[in-house]
Amino acid sequence: MGRKAQKNDSLPGSLDMLILRILSRRDLHGYGIVQFIQQSSDDELLVEEGSLYPALQRLELNGWIDGVWGVTSNNRRARIYKITAAGRKQLAVETRKYAKLTLAIARVMGAE
Amino acid sequence: VTDVLRRLKYWTESARRGEALRQEMELHLAEKAAELQEAGMTAERARAEARRRFGNVGLKQEESREIWMTQFLSELGQDIRYGLRTMAANKAFSALAVLLLALGIGANTAIYSFMESILLRSLPVADPESLVVLNWHSRSPQEGSKEWVIHGLQGMFWPGDKGALLTGIFPYPAFETLGEENPVFSTLFGYFNGHNRNLTVRGQATSAGAEYVTGDYFRGLEVSPAAGRLINSEDDRAGAAAVAVISFATSQNRFGGPPNAIGQSILVDNIPFTVIGVTPPEFFGVDPAAAPDLYLPLHTNMLTDGARAARMYGDGNFYWIEMMGRLRPGVSMAQAQAALAPRFHQWVVTTAKTGGERANLPALILNPGAEGLGSLRRQYSKPLYVLLAMVGLILAITCANIANLLLARAAARRREMAVRLSLGAGRFRVVRQLLTESVMLASLGGTFGVLFAIWGVRSLTLLLSNGQENFTLRAELNWKVLGVTAALSVVCGLLFGLAPAIQSTRPDVMPALKDGRGGGPRRRAQHVLVVAQIAISFLLLVGAGLFVRTLNKLHSIQLGYARENILLFSLNARQAGHRDPEMATLYANLRKRLESIPGVSGATFSQSSIISAGMAGGAYRGTMKIGTVSIAGAGVMAAGARFLTTMQIPILAGREIDERDQTGSPPVAVISERLARTYFGNENPVGRRITLEDEKRDLEIVGVSANVRYGGLKQGSSMTVFTAASQFSPDRVTYALRVAGDPLRYVRSVREIVREADSRIPVTNVFTQAAEIDRTISREITFSKLCTGFAVLALLIACVGLYGTVSYSVARQIGEIGTRMALGAQRGAVVWMVLRRVLLLAAAGLAISVPAALIAFRLVKSFLFGTQPNDPGILAMAAVVLLIAAILAGYAPARRASRIDPLAALRHE
Repeated sequence: MGRKAQKNDSLPGSLDMLILRILSRRDLHGYGIVQFIQQSSDDELLVEEGSLYPALQRLELNGWIDGVWGVTSNNRRARIYKITAAGRKQLAVETRKYAKLTLAIARVMGAE
Repeated sequence: VTDVLRRLKYWTESARRGEALRQEMELHLAEKAAELQEAGMTAERARAEARRRFGNVGLKQEESREIWMTQFLSELGQDIRYGLRTMAANKAFSALAVLLLALGIGANTAIYSFMESILLRSLPVADPESLVVLNWHSRSPQEGSKEWVIHGLQGMFWPGDKGALLTGIFPYPAFETLGEENPVFSTLFGYFNGHNRNLTVRGQATSAGAEYVTGDYFRGLEVSPAAGRLINSEDDRAGAAAVAVISFATSQNRFGGPPNAIGQSILVDNIPFTVIGVTPPEFFGVDPAAAPDLYLPLHTNMLTDGARAARMYGDGNFYWIEMMGRLRPGVSMAQAQAALAPRFHQWVVTTAKTGGERANLPALILNPGAEGLGSLRRQYSKPLYVLLAMVGLILAITCANIANLLLARAAARRREMAVRLSLGAGRFRVVRQLLTESVMLASLGGTFGVLFAIWGVRSLTLLLSNGQENFTLRAELNWKVLGVTAALSVVCGLLFGLAPAIQSTRPDVMPALKDGRGGGPRRRAQHVLVVAQIAISFLLLVGAGLFVRTLNKLHSIQLGYARENILLFSLNARQAGHRDPEMATLYANLRKRLESIPGVSGATFSQSSIISAGMAGGAYRGTMKIGTVSIAGAGVMAAGARFLTTMQIPILAGREIDERDQTGSPPVAVISERLARTYFGNENPVGRRITLEDEKRDLEIVGVSANVRYGGLKQGSSMTVFTAASQFSPDRVTYALRVAGDPLRYVRSVREIVREADSRIPVTNVFTQAAEIDRTISREITFSKLCTGFAVLALLIACVGLYGTVSYSVARQIGEIGTRMALGAQRGAVVWMVLRRVLLLAAAGLAISVPAALIAFRLVKSFLFGTQPNDPGILAMAAVVLLIAAILAGYAPARRASRIDPLAALRHE
C-alpha cells in the first residue's frame, strides 16, 4: 500500500510511543495504561486521560496494536491491548527518532 | 491485501466499534472514580473528579471515530472530485454512457415496479403473513369419469400442476363445517365476487363492483373503519336489516366524504340498503384485481339475487363461496393444512352420491394469503417475467457497451495509470478510483433512469389498461423499488467498470510507459463484449419479430362481422328492477329509439359483444339436438332484431331475427353456415328444428348466416346459433350501433336516450367495436410494441458499440493500413479488410445467438399465435437486419481507413 501511516503529533514524549513502550512489556487495558504512565513517571507526566482513546484507535488502525475483550485484574470486562510485530518495529523507529531528537535538544541546550 | 481487509473491517464495523469505545470509556471513568473514592473522596465527588480529569467524553469519542472514518471519506471525496473532472473532460462519452444507462436502468425500474405491485406487495391489513387462502384441487372431470360432486358452480377455475384444476370456491355447508371449533384458525371468513351491481345514490345510478362478505370478514382481516362500523356477524343473517359498507373512494365520489355516507340509504339492484360504514382508503378487499366499491353481508344476496341464491346455502354440491383464514399464533400453514384437509375430506365424501363422484373428490390445500388472491399474479406474472428478461438483456447490452467504451478509453488512460502506479500508488487504490468513476456514471444514469421510469410506468399502465374502466393495476415507484434501482445502478457500475479497471492497471507498466499502447488481451475483451451485444440484439430482434408477427396474424383474422364504425355499450335493466316480459319490451323499444339517432344506420343488441361471448357464456349451455343428433361445440347467442344486418354478417338463406319474433311467438333460430353444413349437408336447414333438451322446447331455424368468429379471436368457433333475445331475455345486453364517423361522438345521445327510458339504468362498457376486439389481445399489442422498441434500442446500442470498437482498431492499425496502401492495396480491399472483421464479429454473435433463441423462445410459445418460436422467416429476417446494421456501423470506419494517406500513416509510425 502506498499510503502513509496515520500521523501522530510527534512531539518528544509523544503518547503513541509511550503506549507502545508500555504495551511492549505487558498487555493492558486503557485505564491500566494511564495508571502505568502516571505511576512510572512519578506523576510527572499528566496525561489528559480522555486523549488516550483516540491514540489507541489510531494505533489500532495502523495495525501496531490489537485490542481484544478480556477481564481486568479486578474482574471487569475491558478491552485489553497487545502490541503487534509491526508495533514493535514502529516502537524501535520511534525510540531511535526520540533518542536523536533528545540528543539534538541536549546539544543545543548544552551549547550555551 | 490484509491491510485492505483490516481497514475495510474497521469501516464496516464502525457502529459496533463506537459502542465498544463507549464501554471502554465508561469503564475507565468507573475505575478512576473507584480509585479516588478509595483515596477518601465521596462517591459523588469522585465521579465528578474522574470526569474532570478525563476531559470531554463526547469530544474524545468524536476524535476516535474520526480517526477511522476520515481516511476513507477523504479518499472517497478525492475520488469523486477526480471522477467529476474526468467526466467533465469527456463530456460526449459521459453523456452517452449516462443516456444509455438511464434507458437501461429506467426500463428495468419500470418493469420491476409492476412486478413489485403485482407479485410482491402484501395486503394492507394487520399481520398479513398469518392469512391463508383455502383452495382445492382435483382432476378435471373430462378425463376418466364425467361424474363429479360439483353439480353447479359460480366462480373461477385455473389450471394447476399436471392438468389438475384449482379453485377457491366451496359449497356453503363446507364453510360452516370448516368454521366449527377450528383449532388452527382464529377466524375463518368467506366472500364472493358479486361483480357489477347497479348502485343508486340519491337517484343517480352507476355500476359498482360488489363483494359479498361473511360477518367475520372484517374482523378476520383486522380492518378498522374510516367512518361508522363494519359488517359483523349480526348483519350476516337471513332476515337481518340490509346494510352496506362502501369503499373510501365511493364515499368521496358519491357522498363527498366518509362521514356524510353513514346512515344514508342506497339502492343496490333496486333493493334498499343502509350505509353503516366506510373502509379505510388503502383497503381494497382480498383480491388486488377487484377493488370493490361495495361490501354487502353474504346473506343479502338472497335479496339481490332472489330464490336462486337462497337455494345455494343448503346445497352441498353447489360451489360458490371463497374463504380465507387467519392462523392462530404459533400455528404454521402446514399444521393447519394437516388439521383441515381430513376434515374437508370427511365432509366432501358425504356429498358424493355415486361411485364415479367418489373417485375424483376435491382435496383441500392451503396457500399463503398475505398477498391476497392470485388472479392478477396468474394473469400477469409470466408476461412480466418475459418483459423483465427483455429489459434485463437491454441492461446487459448497455453494460457491455459501456465496458467496451471504457476499455477503449483505458487505452488513452493507460499512460496516466502507468504514471500513477510507478509513482507508488497502490493498485487497489487506482482500481478503487476507477470503480468510483464508473459507479458515479451508473448512479447518474440511475437518477435519470428514475425519471424515465416514471414515464415508463405511466405509459405502460396506459398500454396495459387499454381503455378499461376501473383498471386496478397500479404500479408506483415506492422506496422498495427505488432501493432496487439504486442497488442496480451500483452493481452495473461495478460490472462494467471492473474489467476495464483491472485491465488498465495491469502491473506491466514499462511497455505502457514506453509507447502508450494496449496489448492483445484488451482487444480480445472488446471483441467478446461486441459479440455479446450482437447476440443479445439478435435475441431481441427475433422476439420483436415473433410478437409483431403474432399481432399481424391476429389482426388479419377474418372476423366475419364489422369491426369499424360500431359503437358498443351495455345495459342491465334487471338490476334496475325490471322483470320479464316487460324487460324484453324495454330493450326492444330502446333499440328503435337508438336507431332514430341521426347518423345511426342500424341498432341492435345481443347478450354480449361477439368477441367476448366466450367469456360471458352462452344464452343456453345444455344439450342441443337436431332430431336425435347432438350438436357439439356450438355457441348460442341471444340477439335482438336486425343483428346480422347491423353487424354486416351476410344472410345466406331465409331471414334474420326481426321485430316479428316476440315473447309469445314461436321460438326461432338462425344458424351459421358451418353449423348448417355440418349437420344438414347440402340440404336447406330453413324450416327444420333444433331441440333444447334442458328447456324442453324447439327452435325453428329461419335463416342461415355466414360464419363469424364467435368468442375470442384465437379460439373463435364458427358454429353459432342466434336466438331471439325476446324469447331468451338475457338480463344484461350489449347494444351495437352502426354509425357514420367516429362512434364515440354518439355516446352523449345514447346516454340521453337511455336516461329518458329509465334513469336508474347506468350505461356501462362504452367501447368502439375495434377497441373491444383489441381489448382481448391487449397483451399481444403491448408485447409487440414494447418488444419492437426494445429491439430497436438494443440494435442502436450494439451498433454504437460496434462502431466504437471498429474505429478504435482502425486507429490502431493506421500503420499497417498505410503500409498496405503504399504497397499498392486498393481502397476496396482496405474497406473489405475492415468490414470482414465486422462481419466475423456479427457471425460469431449469430452463431451463439441462434441456438439460444431456439431454446429461449420455446418458453414464450404460449404467447404466440400463427407463428412458431423457430419460424425460419423471422430468424432470417432478424439476421439480415442485424447484418445490415453491422455493415452500416462498420462502413464509416472502413471508409475512413481507406482514405488514409499512406505517407502520413507511415510518418505516424
